[in-house]
Amino acid sequence: MTSRPLPPRNAKRFHTACQFCIVGCGYRVFKWPEGSEGGPAPGDNALNLDFRQQQPALGTWIAPAMQTVVTDRDGTRQNIVIIPDKSCQVNSGLESVRGGSLASTLYRPDGPTRMRLSTPGIKNGATLELAAWNDATDLAARVIKAVIDRWGADAVGMKFFDHGGGGGGFENNWAVGRFFFEAVKTTSCSIHNRPAYNSEVHAAGDAGIAPLTNAYIDAQLADTILVVGANPYETQTNYFLNHMVKNLNGETMSLKKSIFSDEEIAPGRMIIIDPRRTMSVAAAEAAAGAQNVLHLQIEPGTDIWVLNAIARIIIDRRWHDVGFITGFTETQTFNAYQRSSLMRDRPADEVINEAAGKAGVPAELLKKAADWIARPKAGRARRRTLLHYEKGLIWGLKNYENVAAIVDLGLLTGNIGKPGTGISRLGGHQEGYVRPPSRGGRPARNIDEKLRRGEIKLFWVGGCNPVLTTLDAATIGRTLEERGQLVTEALTTSIDLPVEQRVIAIVETLKAGGVFTIAQDIYPTKTTERAHLVLPAAGWGEANLTSINGERRLRLHQKFMDPPGEALPDWQIIAHVAQRLNALYTADRNPEMANRFLDFDWRDEEAVFIDARYSFKGGPDDAMEGYAGIDYDLLRKLGTNGIQTPVRLVRGTPVGTERLYEDKRFSTKSGKAKFIPAPPPWPGYAAPVMRQRKKYAFWINNGRSNHLWQTVYHHRYLKFYRERVPIPYVEMHPADAAKLNIEPGDIVEIINDRGSVQAMAYPTGAVKPDHCFLVFGQPRGPAGNLVSDHVDPDTTIPWYKGVWADIRRIGPMPELTRTVTFKPQNIAQ
Amino acid sequence: MKDNNNGDDKTGFSRRQMLSFSLAAGVAAGTGVASEANSEPSPSDTKVPELEIGKLDEIKPGAVVEFDYPDDDSPAILLRLNGPAEGGVGPDQSIVAFSRLCTHKGCPLDWNAEQKMLICPCHWSSFDPALKGRMIIGQASQGLPQITLRISEGNIRAVGVEGLIYGRYTNIL
Repeated sequence: MTSRPLPPRNAKRFHTACQFCIVGCGYRVFKWPEGSEGGPAPGDNALNLDFRQQQPALGTWIAPAMQTVVTDRDGTRQNIVIIPDKSCQVNSGLESVRGGSLASTLYRPDGPTRMRLSTPGIKNGATLELAAWNDATDLAARVIKAVIDRWGADAVGMKFFDHGGGGGGFENNWAVGRFFFEAVKTTSCSIHNRPAYNSEVHAAGDAGIAPLTNAYIDAQLADTILVVGANPYETQTNYFLNHMVKNLNGETMSLKKSIFSDEEIAPGRMIIIDPRRTMSVAAAEAAAGAQNVLHLQIEPGTDIWVLNAIARIIIDRRWHDVGFITGFTETQTFNAYQRSSLMRDRPADEVINEAAGKAGVPAELLKKAADWIARPKAGRARRRTLLHYEKGLIWGLKNYENVAAIVDLGLLTGNIGKPGTGISRLGGHQEGYVRPPSRGGRPARNIDEKLRRGEIKLFWVGGCNPVLTTLDAATIGRTLEERGQLVTEALTTSIDLPVEQRVIAIVETLKAGGVFTIAQDIYPTKTTERAHLVLPAAGWGEANLTSINGERRLRLHQKFMDPPGEALPDWQIIAHVAQRLNALYTADRNPEMANRFLDFDWRDEEAVFIDARYSFKGGPDDAMEGYAGIDYDLLRKLGTNGIQTPVRLVRGTPVGTERLYEDKRFSTKSGKAKFIPAPPPWPGYAAPVMRQRKKYAFWINNGRSNHLWQTVYHHRYLKFYRERVPIPYVEMHPADAAKLNIEPGDIVEIINDRGSVQAMAYPTGAVKPDHCFLVFGQPRGPAGNLVSDHVDPDTTIPWYKGVWADIRRIGPMPELTRTVTFKPQNIAQ
Repeated sequence: MKDNNNGDDKTGFSRRQMLSFSLAAGVAAGTGVASEANSEPSPSDTKVPELEIGKLDEIKPGAVVEFDYPDDDSPAILLRLNGPAEGGVGPDQSIVAFSRLCTHKGCPLDWNAEQKMLICPCHWSSFDPALKGRMIIGQASQGLPQITLRISEGNIRAVGVEGLIYGRYTNIL
């Protein structure tokens, strides 16, 4: 191959947003028949660029990973090029390591992604037999009906995506919610990454603060950006590079001057609270100068101490926003917050020193953080601080109080609803949550436990892989295997029987403790391996879907190719099963049940979107949602910039919302925000975690890394990514590695009372002694195997990162060190 | 250190572990490594010019030589590392050369002599010259194009490029 094909002028054009992280960078898609290509002269290619010349730095380049060839269902082979969109305000033409290879992730039967699921399958012995959709949906519907009729709706369990981007979106979310909440009416529901159906940020909701409040431009305008438990260089890359960095290095000074004409301005500062010295710390220092970056390298589980100590310093120095607190928060909650969370009945130095001691951070640095967050600027103008948090805090020691601590700090300093401020999650996936109200109550039920106890007879898993990612993951894997084996035997021995009799045989096994598992996904996974019925779903680019990003920017992710084989969009799979249930209950002369499965006859995905749209008005209870007047035509016109939700009609025109709460009316009954006081100042370690902590030597923090998206469902098939992380790596301090005779690239076993994981050792000064960091979600070594079954009893959210274990060296693996670099991943200059 | 498992060979792997990794290799093979969708152009694909970069005896350990290749718009960098490198030539196979344009957005890379890595000043992608320019961390979707070197009569010559250079649809414009 002497060159990469250029898109010709007549290439079909689409716009989309990335399928991966919350940032949702805008991309342009070009499609044209294989065998033809554009020319290098500007008039001869769709980009109108002169490719006879070297393109400049920060210009447009079609990297090899940005081009592929797909085969549509009519058999035609088509070139696809996907490049970042310079006109998108989110990324301004930047791609991340993940988005840069969007084209490489597309299904092609002659390429690495040929592993995609393309046909429904029914378990027969150890294999999956291919099945027609009618047979697959008929079997699913019959078993669901049998389970509801015999054990009630709660015996139907589900674990499904609830997000936007690839594998989610408003359309698919709405169909899933309608089916399980309004038709099946089960309470045995859980969300893709956790054991229950619950918010990850109940405390923010109780305070009246939505998860995503700010606009990305606020990161360009803030005086200080506080990042707690997140690593945005690696996991919200272009929010960090295209917005935060421009503030840190002073590029946005003229913008600040134009907006804050009467305020002292300076390049932004950043505070990062993270147990690791991540690439985000290094890059922020490179951009801002080390003197303008404060890294609080805390001990595990001490976020509450640190955040509340900073708040205590602020209030004692009278840097809190009295006007905001008096006018826009509920006074009694502020009083309770001062008493319990800030311990104002105790001497300040005592509280601050205790926090510093617990966190392993000098008290002076806590004071410096308070200074950067809240010391008034010249002329007494309030400092504008943007407060961000994510999984390090959410999946921390105690979910509810962790999130409460940062929300309270934001309220204390009035940093909400103004340019340069906000109290927001940094986010994981894009969002796209539109569903009818769930039925699980609060605290939500732990579905993993119900599954283990045998109360769930049918378990439908969609777009996620709990055998890899849930807490105490090995136990869930064993549960599905052991309980599923009974059903597998029934399916295998009844293969020659009519479906009615097969379902009778299946129900007999369910009575005996079996579970029937349906897995709906785009790739084979450890969960599909254990499923009795596998349903192939369409992926990103194979169906239209809509999502919002971390600043609530709603875009249409356009369809530009066909799904593989017989695969269908998730909403359509759900609709087919619902329609079959309607027919079965009608035949059963049960109109009440039949009616529950009515109205799943959407014409196309836009019909699902419009159906969902009518249910969300952007009111106080759903501050981020609200889609008045939006349809696909409008979203096509708005392109990669879309419109920020909630959207309201103003004289017939849809108008978006740049940032939430500019009117200071919060999402509570009173309209005033609430402080969420922590009952005890610090909850301590839960018993299962404490047992591990006492017994094992190393804290095994775990999370995402730069190259990989979630469970690496695409990336494990793509050489560039697979070569970088062929098996999970575990970062450990060089002194700890030396003590155990561990060299870079050695295979180690990480083992505790829940299970074990094999990983490659990555000695690095990024972690403190006794601290380790394990890449999560890697099929070769599920970090979930080490996580105890403890959850926050108030929210049913696990402390996924609260793992202690021992490490032992297994030995070298020369083939790893020949291809995997173990140089430091936190160097910037 | 003696392994505390049942390893019985010099690698320290037990039979079970060897099996485990063999299975992994099988998975990788099944994923179409040989037919990777986005194969990169090989040196033989393009008629690249030959260029003399310097004399072998003048390239001492730690040497850094900047040059342009395959044309004046394409900055490249030659490095003599402290030990063998993949694709290296000369003593210990320690001499390597790469395109200096970051494969993320095309900014010229800086050499970090302390860490022995090439780092982009724009978005901090970093590359390991000892391992074919593979990305350590960063935002590119491929490693650095490696310049194929040949030693002829005591001279180090650039004779090809493995991988597509940033900003080009073909390496020879």
